[in-house]
Amino acid sequence: MKKRNVKFYLAIYFKIISQDIKSKLSYRVDFIISTMGILFTNIAGFITFWIIFKNFDNINDWNYYEILFLYGFSLMALTPTQCLFDNNWNLRDYVYSGDFIKYCFRPIDLYFYYISEIFDLKGIGEFMMGVGIIVYAWINLKYSVTILGILALIVMWIAASLVMAGIMNIAAATCFWMNNSGYVMVTVFKFTEYTKYPIDIFNKGFRIFFSFIIPIAFVTYYPSMVVLNSHNLPILTIIAPIFSVLFFYISYRIWMFGASRYNGTGT
Amino acid sequence: MKKYLVLIRTGIMDKLNFRVSLIVTFVGNIIYLITIYFLWKAIYLSSGKETVNGMTFNDTMIYLVLATALFNMMEIFLVWYMGNQVRSGKIVFDLIKPIKFGLYMFFGQLGEVVVNFVVIFLPTVVIVYIVTGGGILAGKNILLFFVAMILAFIINYCINMLVAALCLFTESSWGINIMKEVIVSVLSGKSIPLAFFPNSIKSIVELLPFQAVYNTPLTMLINNNLSVENYVKMFGMQILWLMVLLCGAVWFWKYSLRRVTINGG
Repeated sequence: MKKRNVKFYLAIYFKIISQDIKSKLSYRVDFIISTMGILFTNIAGFITFWIIFKNFDNINDWNYYEILFLYGFSLMALTPTQCLFDNNWNLRDYVYSGDFIKYCFRPIDLYFYYISEIFDLKGIGEFMMGVGIIVYAWINLKYSVTILGILALIVMWIAASLVMAGIMNIAAATCFWMNNSGYVMVTVFKFTEYTKYPIDIFNKGFRIFFSFIIPIAFVTYYPSMVVLNSHNLPILTIIAPIFSVLFFYISYRIWMFGASRYNGTGT
Repeated sequence: MKKYLVLIRTGIMDKLNFRVSLIVTFVGNIIYLITIYFLWKAIYLSSGKETVNGMTFNDTMIYLVLATALFNMMEIFLVWYMGNQVRSGKIVFDLIKPIKFGLYMFFGQLGEVVVNFVVIFLPTVVIVYIVTGGGILAGKNILLFFVAMILAFIINYCINMLVAALCLFTESSWGINIMKEVIVSVLSGKSIPLAFFPNSIKSIVELLPFQAVYNTPLTMLINNNLSVENYVKMFGMQILWLMVLLCGAVWFWKYSLRRVTINGG
C-alpha cells in the first residue's frame, strides 16, 4: 500500500477539488449570483460601519481606519473557512439522510475526504474585498510597509483561519449528537459578525468567553494586533499561531469522535 | 377555514418538535444581545454624549433588543425551502396539493411564528419592561403594535414569496437568499436604528417596504408620543406596500409557474 504522506493527500486533494470546481463552473449563473450575494453582505457590513462612524468618531479610542483594518482582516480570515471547509454546512443533511455512510467507506482520512469534496469559489470575492480594505486602511493609518510586517500578517492570517475553521468544525459536529443542529451552526456563525469589533469593548468575563470558549477573538482581534499594536504585542497575539494549531486539532478530534459514533440510518 | 387551522397547528407542532434548537437559539440570542450591549455602550461612552440623534443609550438598546427579537420571531426559511424543493424536484408534490401553494406555506409559517412569538418575543418584551422599569409603556400602543406586527408579517411573507419565486428560475437559492437577508436587515433598521441614518438616505429608506417590517411596529411599541397623523402615515405606508407586494407576489408566482421546468421525479 502506498505511503500516506502529505504529498499523497495533497495529490488527492487537488484531484477531488478540481472535479468540484469543474462542476461548479458549469453553473455560471449560480456562481455569479452567489458572488454577488457575498459582495452584498460585505457592502452592507461596510455601510453599517460607515453609518456608525458618521455619528461617532471612535469606538473605545479605536479610530475609523483601525476598525476598518479589523473588518478587512476578519473578511480575509473567514475566506478559507468559506472556500475550503464549506461542506461542514451540509454535514447535518448527510447525517440526517444517511448519505454520510458513503464517506465512511473510503480508505483515507474521513474528515479530510469529507471536507475536500467541496471547494467554494464564491469566497474569493470576499477575500479580494478583505485585501482591498486592509490596503486602504493600512495606507490611511500611515504605517510603513515592511517585509517582516507582511510576513507576520500572513502567519497570523493562517492562524486566524485555522481557528475559524475549528469553530465551524465543532459547530458542525454537534449534528452527530442532536437533530436539527443547523441552528447551532447558524448561531455560532452569527458570532463571526462580532469578530470585527475590538475585544476590549467587553468586560472581563466576556473577554475570556470570546478568547477561550468561543474563541472569535483569535479570528481577528489578536492576530490583527501584529499590525495595529506592533510595539506592544499582547501575549495572546504571540501564542495565537500555536493556539490555532492546537485548537484546530482539537476540533478535528471532536469531529472524528462524533463521526465514530455515527451508525447510519439503517437503509 | 378548518384546513388553514390544521396547517397552523402543523407548523406549531413542527416547531415544538425541535426543543433543543429553541434552547440553542435562545442562548445564542442572549449572547448576541450582550454583544450588542457592550458594543453600543462603548460607542456611547466614547462619544461622551448622552443623546445622539435624539436617542439615548437606553432608547437604542430597547430598540435593538426588540428589533432582534422581532427579527428572530419573523424569520422564515421560505427561500431555503423553495430552493431545496426545486432542486430535488419535490416541489411538484407541493404544487399538486388541493390548496394554493402561497396559502399552504403561509399558514404553515404562521404556526411557526406563533410559537416564536410566545417563546421569543413575549419574554423579551417582558424582560425589557422589567429591566427598564417601564421603558415600554403599556397602553393603546400594545394594540396598535399588534396590528402593525400582523401587517408586517404579511409584508415580510410577500417579500419572501417574491424572492422564493426567483428560485424557480435560477436554482441559485443561496445567493438570492443572502442578498434578500442583507437588504432587509440593513434597510429595515434592524442592524442600526433608522434615526442614525444620514438624512438623505433616511428619506429614501422610509419610502421602501423594508422599514415597514421592523421599524414601523417597533416605533409604535416604543414611542408613545406619536400623533394621529403619524399613525395614519405609518399604517398607510404599511397597507400600501402590503397591497403592492401581495399583488406582485401573486402575479409573479403565477408567471413563474408557467415558466418552471422540474427535473426528474
